[in-house]
Amino acid sequence: MPRLPNAVDFWRGIALISIFANHIPGLFYDRFTHRAVSISDSAELFVFLAGWSLRYVLGGPERPTPISQIIFRLGGRAVTLYAAHMMIVMIAIATLAAMSELFENPLLLEWHNAAAVFYRPVETHIGIALLSHQLGYFDILPLYVALMLTAPLLAIIDRYVPSLLLPASLGLYFVSLVVPLTIPAWPVEGQWYFNPLCWQLIFVLGLLMSRDTGIGGWVRRHIVAIRWAALPIVLLAMVFVLTGGTWIDPTKMPSPKLLFINGKTFATPIRVIQFLALVAVMSVVYPYIARAVPNFVKYPSMLGRNSLEVFCAASLLSLWSQIIRYAWPGGIVLDTLILAMGIFLMGLVAWLTEWRDRVVRKS
Amino acid sequence: MARQSRAQKLRRLAAIALLAVGVPLGTAAQLPPVNETAPAAPQAEGAKPENSLPPISRDCQIGSAQIVSQTPLPNVERALRERQRIVIMVVGASPVALRNSASSGHYEVVEKLLEETFKGLDVSIVHRGVSAELVRDASERIKNEVALISPDLVLWQVGTADAMARMPVDEFEQTLTETLVWLRGHGVDVALIGLHYIKALTKDPQYQEIRTVLKRVSGALGIMRISRYEAGETITRLRSEQGRPLTGTRLTDAAYECSAEYLSRAIASGLFLRAKDTKSPRPKK
Repeated sequence: MPRLPNAVDFWRGIALISIFANHIPGLFYDRFTHRAVSISDSAELFVFLAGWSLRYVLGGPERPTPISQIIFRLGGRAVTLYAAHMMIVMIAIATLAAMSELFENPLLLEWHNAAAVFYRPVETHIGIALLSHQLGYFDILPLYVALMLTAPLLAIIDRYVPSLLLPASLGLYFVSLVVPLTIPAWPVEGQWYFNPLCWQLIFVLGLLMSRDTGIGGWVRRHIVAIRWAALPIVLLAMVFVLTGGTWIDPTKMPSPKLLFINGKTFATPIRVIQFLALVAVMSVVYPYIARAVPNFVKYPSMLGRNSLEVFCAASLLSLWSQIIRYAWPGGIVLDTLILAMGIFLMGLVAWLTEWRDRVVRKS
Repeated sequence: MARQSRAQKLRRLAAIALLAVGVPLGTAAQLPPVNETAPAAPQAEGAKPENSLPPISRDCQIGSAQIVSQTPLPNVERALRERQRIVIMVVGASPVALRNSASSGHYEVVEKLLEETFKGLDVSIVHRGVSAELVRDASERIKNEVALISPDLVLWQVGTADAMARMPVDEFEQTLTETLVWLRGHGVDVALIGLHYIKALTKDPQYQEIRTVLKRVSGALGIMRISRYEAGETITRLRSEQGRPLTGTRLTDAAYECSAEYLSRAIASGLFLRAKDTKSPRPKK
């Protein structure tokens, strides 16, 4: 029996739907996702909730999971994520190759950073295996793999010196912004689109906020005041985005500039602060939605419960949708069809995953 | 030589493997440090700079076709004069690597040619390409990268992603114009690298409209533009006439290689003209 709908699964399901829509450039419905009115987007929410879910692996203060078991589970999870990433990347590459042949358009081979795969296959296949070469829009799972590989270290710190976890995470975050530090890409020069050295902060914050103790407990005790303080930040960010975000000239910012500008790669402070404010404000919403439309929350919650499978499906569906939009430009009607079909197929994948689990358990 | 090259590759692979297990060795937006060696003293007067440019390769010779809109590059020229160092930022589609080559990409052709042509000049190319990035997303990111990298010149491959994503053309034109004006206002020269010539897209209205917009905007703002489409079209015709037809990836690859040649020559030509006037470091003989 799958777990009942809850806020974490619900919001993760919403994030998955948003990621699907956001990964189809030009889709009409993209403007209705929360990034249209927010500095941060679904990526922050997804990583934050991944950190939140880490709590279930680590166990509570009464029944902490043994460290060896934590390392085994997180290591296994990292391998699963890696395998899932490799599978969807290979399908994406095959898709681009097939469509390039079908439409006699070699530009499709160059889409989404795939060019090097076809033009320099030897080095690039090594790069894909090492996660140093990432396709465009297929770059969140490598971040997730990196976070999961370091999660055992986080778990050990959290178990034995819990007060060190946030300062250590913040320290790495700020050093990465000030130096700045990142993970380089190879063989195509560049850097990881999601810098794990910075995004780890959002992951750690997710874990800490999930708890009733420490900073998570403090936030829970003062949530009403925090929400009031967060509301102006959310509204200000909304105005900032709606007016084109032109208030800040990054070249006029003092050094180190990454502390002051809005950058997704480095998850800069402006994004993190706005994201936390958004979480604080929106945390009040779920109970009302669940009470008002209990049947509605079931679907996103089902997606959220099976997030890896659904994420993989969403990544491929968004790529296929892009190709459909390229081949048969159809305006809002086609976009509506794509969105509806995409959400349905994501649900089908989630349902099949749970059905398979039920069958396995019965047998 | 081959052993050395293999050793270099092994070292590079070892470094990548270390990075993959989480050792953060790299630094971002990290330009190589400014060349600490003293810049070479200007050579004696009287050289003929144009003679220093190597002849354009046979496969990229396309007769009288107008491929480059030659425009001045005042910020690059100033960087050359004051620092003998040019920082070039590459944005847009991913820098495609040369086929069957150990080189890391076509833009290195630009770097090599400029450094060989101008004695003592240090050219740093910083890759900040995000493949399939729309102009609306690139616009914001370019501003951040300019703040972090302080480039003198931006090479921007633009338009393909918007055409493929079927983005509204007027929105594309507006955002492109705003970004180019912003870059100019912040002391950054730009060279736009236009769309590829793809036979299947010769009748694609969206693709052709984007191409027209690039032409119009670069012309109106006086921005350097490499007409990769016209280059590809001419190369295709000439190769067919020579009985060596080019299709598919061979054509796009040839267009990349030739664009790199045209681009580096366009930059060098602009600097030659200025170099004569301002007595900045001169090209090698």
